[in-house]
Amino acid sequence: MTTNPIIQVENVYKFFGQLTALNDVSLNISSGEKVVILGPSGSGKSTLLRSINRLEKIDKGHIIVDGQNITAPECNINTVRQELGMVFQSFNLFPHKTVLGNLVMAPMRLKKMPKEEAEAIALELLKKVGISDKAHVYPAKLSGGQQQRVAIARALAMNPKIMLFDEPTSALDPEMIGEVLDVMTSLAKEGMTMVCVTHEMGFAREVADRLVFMDHGEIIEEGTPEEFFTNPKHPRLKQFLEQIL
Amino acid sequence: MSVEKKEVRIAVTDGMLIPSGKDKNVITAWSISLIFAICSIIYLCVKNPDPYLDILKFLPDGILVTFQVTISAILLTIPIGLATGMGRLSENRIINLVASTYVEIIRGIPLLVQLFFIYYAIGEFVQLPDLTAAIIAMSVCYGAYMGEVFRAGIDAVDSGQAEAARSLGFNKTETMFMVILPQAWRTILPPVGNEFIALLKDSSLVSILAVSELLRRGREYASVTFNYFECYLMVALIYLVITLLLSKAVSIMENKLNYYDD
Ligand SMILES: Nc1ncnc2c1ncn2[C@@H]1O[C@H](COP(=O)(O)OP(=O)(O)OP(=O)(O)O)[C@@H](O)[C@H]1O
Ligand SMILES: [Mg+2]
Repeated sequence: MTTNPIIQVENVYKFFGQLTALNDVSLNISSGEKVVILGPSGSGKSTLLRSINRLEKIDKGHIIVDGQNITAPECNINTVRQELGMVFQSFNLFPHKTVLGNLVMAPMRLKKMPKEEAEAIALELLKKVGISDKAHVYPAKLSGGQQQRVAIARALAMNPKIMLFDEPTSALDPEMIGEVLDVMTSLAKEGMTMVCVTHEMGFAREVADRLVFMDHGEIIEEGTPEEFFTNPKHPRLKQFLEQIL
Repeated sequence: MSVEKKEVRIAVTDGMLIPSGKDKNVITAWSISLIFAICSIIYLCVKNPDPYLDILKFLPDGILVTFQVTISAILLTIPIGLATGMGRLSENRIINLVASTYVEIIRGIPLLVQLFFIYYAIGEFVQLPDLTAAIIAMSVCYGAYMGEVFRAGIDAVDSGQAEAARSLGFNKTETMFMVILPQAWRTILPPVGNEFIALLKDSSLVSILAVSELLRRGREYASVTFNYFECYLMVALIYLVITLLLSKAVSIMENKLNYYDD
């Protein structure tokens, strides 16, 4: 697991006014690795994830994604972001576009892909996430689980190297969580590099190569699911796992 | 959970009561007013063709100019409003300050005073036809109000939309024009319609700038025939009919915009 890391987070600090949201965070993620970030609310999980594609600008430290230092002023973040798919808790589909429109927009505009090709890829992806019959409807017509699967497909349409997930199932009704996790699991099996913030412990146990536990803006424990669930070391992790399991 | 929809109704200037498209009632304030106005015009013209029918025949030129001023000004106001609204939301301090100052100044001075000022200010530098100068003056004034409409409309789009677009790799401009504005239109267009109606009414102010729009035509007729009451009555009724029809048009357009809702 110590091949060249595709994401390097080095001594990163992020402040919101007085609040230290990230406090000297370092984390290396290898290509193909699946990392699940755990931690109580407000511990900085989203901030860390969002810093990786510079939705949050960090105040100190470096983040290197796929060989590019995204914290450097000369970095063209837009091209780096094309390598980084992001899935949000609240889906954020474009409501004025059909499902297909959501999927082809970025490849056509940013990769100058011809419409036919973009649509063919989009339909393939929709089949993969199990909603090819909804290609021509508007997102408002879809259930939460369907919307989130479209959001995943939209991110995949750019053919990213890395996928970031920020609590992708937290906004879903319980009966829809499974369908989204299934898509994520099959994505993991295909070898995608994934960084997920989630409270789904079953998913974490099954899919993660490594778990990262954050508290108060710091990473305080890292390990395999095996180590985490059978032998947590830090008392705060123990406490967290007791509450959540 | 479905993505929550914000119902925002922006009214910056007092245009007109836009009838709700969902209202299936036949008897509404809108229909009563329209029927009242049209019947009054017909009644007056039939009962007393002299002077009412004469007046009615004299006014269409003025109506045309009124529309010319209004439509040209609206078309000019949209880019000004867009630039101002985006400027007001800009993170760039200087752009933000320029846009905000413009809005602040315009809002603090009565429209009539601005019209005089801008009209004669333009005259200091270039010789423009009265109509053109009046249109520019109206646009500068209304641009500030339109800026507020755009600002509110852009602001009402959920911030997750911009984040999603940016995380796909779209730059700021692409995000604005491909994702934010197409959604903002829904909240922007009804108030733009409202501004359009307000502008049409306020275009009567340019009558003082030697532009022969509806009100001035009425005054021209009256100053010859001394039928002041009759003239202004007709002018008022015609304005009413026009604004009522426009407010209906706005509400129809508003309903068309809801195509992507469930
Ligand atoms: N834009 C912001 N402005 C100010 N404070 C913020 C902002 N974003 C996050 N914070 C604060 O930073 C801290 C870390 O937030 P973050 O969203 O990363 O936590 P989280 O671990 O993702 O929590 P949750 O599980 O609730 O999503 C919190 O205390 C939060 O209130
Ligand atoms: Mg979070």
